[in-house]
Amino acid sequence: MSSVPAIEVRDLVKVYSRRGESAIRAVDGLSFAVARGSIFGLLGPNGAGKSTTLRILTTQIRPTSGTARVAGYDVVSQPLEVRRRIAVVIQEQAVDLLLSARDNLAGFARFHGLAPTQIHAKIDGVLRDFDLFDQAGRKVQDMSGGFRRRVQVAKIFMVDTPIVFLDEFSTGMDPILKRSVMASLRAEAARGRTIVLTTQILSEAEELCDDILIVNRGREVARGDLNALKLLSSGVYEVSLTFDSLPAGLEEELARLHPLRLSVSRSTVEIALKESEHRVLDLVSQLSARGRILRVEVGGASLEDVFVELTAKGAPQ
Amino acid sequence: MSALGAIVHREAKIRITNLMFIFWDLLYPLGYLLVFGVGIDRALHFNVAGDASDYHSFFLAGVLGMASFGIASNTAWSFFMDRDNGIFFEMLTYPMSRAQYLLGKVLFNVVIALVQAAVTVGLSAAVLGVPVVWRLLPTGAAIVAIGTAAWFFFYAIFAILVRQNDAFNSITSIFYFVFLFASSMFYPLDPLPRMFRMVAYANPVTWQVDLLRYATTGTGSAGALALEAVAFGIFMLLSFLGALAALRRES
Repeated sequence: MSSVPAIEVRDLVKVYSRRGESAIRAVDGLSFAVARGSIFGLLGPNGAGKSTTLRILTTQIRPTSGTARVAGYDVVSQPLEVRRRIAVVIQEQAVDLLLSARDNLAGFARFHGLAPTQIHAKIDGVLRDFDLFDQAGRKVQDMSGGFRRRVQVAKIFMVDTPIVFLDEFSTGMDPILKRSVMASLRAEAARGRTIVLTTQILSEAEELCDDILIVNRGREVARGDLNALKLLSSGVYEVSLTFDSLPAGLEEELARLHPLRLSVSRSTVEIALKESEHRVLDLVSQLSARGRILRVEVGGASLEDVFVELTAKGAPQ
Repeated sequence: MSALGAIVHREAKIRITNLMFIFWDLLYPLGYLLVFGVGIDRALHFNVAGDASDYHSFFLAGVLGMASFGIASNTAWSFFMDRDNGIFFEMLTYPMSRAQYLLGKVLFNVVIALVQAAVTVGLSAAVLGVPVVWRLLPTGAAIVAIGTAAWFFFYAIFAILVRQNDAFNSITSIFYFVFLFASSMFYPLDPLPRMFRMVAYANPVTWQVDLLRYATTGTGSAGALALEAVAFGIFMLLSFLGALAALRRES
């Protein structure tokens, strides 16, 4: 059983048809497998098919064709077996507003079959980890959006399901809590839990994921670990220059080089280019003649560069 | 705890947050019987087909049927609350079948309906002197439970498929008008025009209320009641399958 991947997807297709509208192929022939105990990131721009894929894997919707197995069970013919092995944070807010934070956590655990003694033993620790202990008795409807999200994410730490799905989990979280949740997710993966997440915040994926699948328009664009993906974008360089004062017309000049990314903030210019090494160095040398440079940094592609380059290929012109 | 137990527990927790609501649920049929039943009885000197029976004795079954209907539509409406909270979609990933989800949602409310019926029947006998046939009470309890569940499944079809709260409210208003008034809930059907009677006899509310009338005051003919019991059973089964299909279609 241990050789079975946590998730196995083959030729998955999901078509949404509405009367009077043309059909939308939200997922278009995806195939992938996720190893047990890994942190798997599903990345893509808006409408790429990430959430639809997750909704199929978590048995919320059925695929139009293809197969998907979670923990060795088919999501269509054995949905109950799948649900017994997963815990899910959906993209939208999902909490019982009329119940307290404590009741939300306990209720979730109860659905997953935990006995009252197990719930009692676990709940205070989870509430403390999410800084909810002092507000445990408050109705969730009286909490801010950020705290509601905390309650929602905290629920998955009440149970020990072997697979956890998180759809844009960090939405509405402050950076300190986000760091702590990411550390907890890494710890869960180290214990053997498989974590599957979708995100558009690439630094999250860069920091967390062992394995990344980039999708666009329902199809695979690239797949691999962070280093493998960065190799796909070989020849991409990131240059960051800080001037004592920004030379006039520099931004327009750099835009004419058709960079993958260009951002100018006060006196710092950040540019990502797909060029040869010596041309990038030439550019740095030319720029140094334009003004006094306080800091120069030249590096390889970031995940964001890879993402922009790969997904832009499929973008409508 | 089983998934069914967990969902009943959740429904109970949510309902208990509003004790006023529970108080209203438990006592409003009795209030209806006291105000409307006694009012009609005294104002119109009601007489059922030459029988000496008073209106509140006749209306007791109607008020129990109305309460089942009301609890069922309120319970089905809670799908909208779950959808607004987002918890509806999360619950679709919980380790339970869609059938358990439907059953669990209605079970706690069946308990409320049973307590409500016990209060109404008990006080209507004690205060209004309704001639309750006590030995038939278990049958009455079964009809209240099955009736509440059947109407919940029926309403759930619309609550799941109609995604707009205001559209669902319009549907329930129409249903209240058509189902309750074109039935034997408020008046005996025999004196009514033929067309009206035909519609009323095809109405599941009539079947349920006639069965409740038998189970509370012992009135009704055995042949017709047997037919109505079978018809109501089929109605419940079809409604359950319809709600299940709607939930599966949604997911």
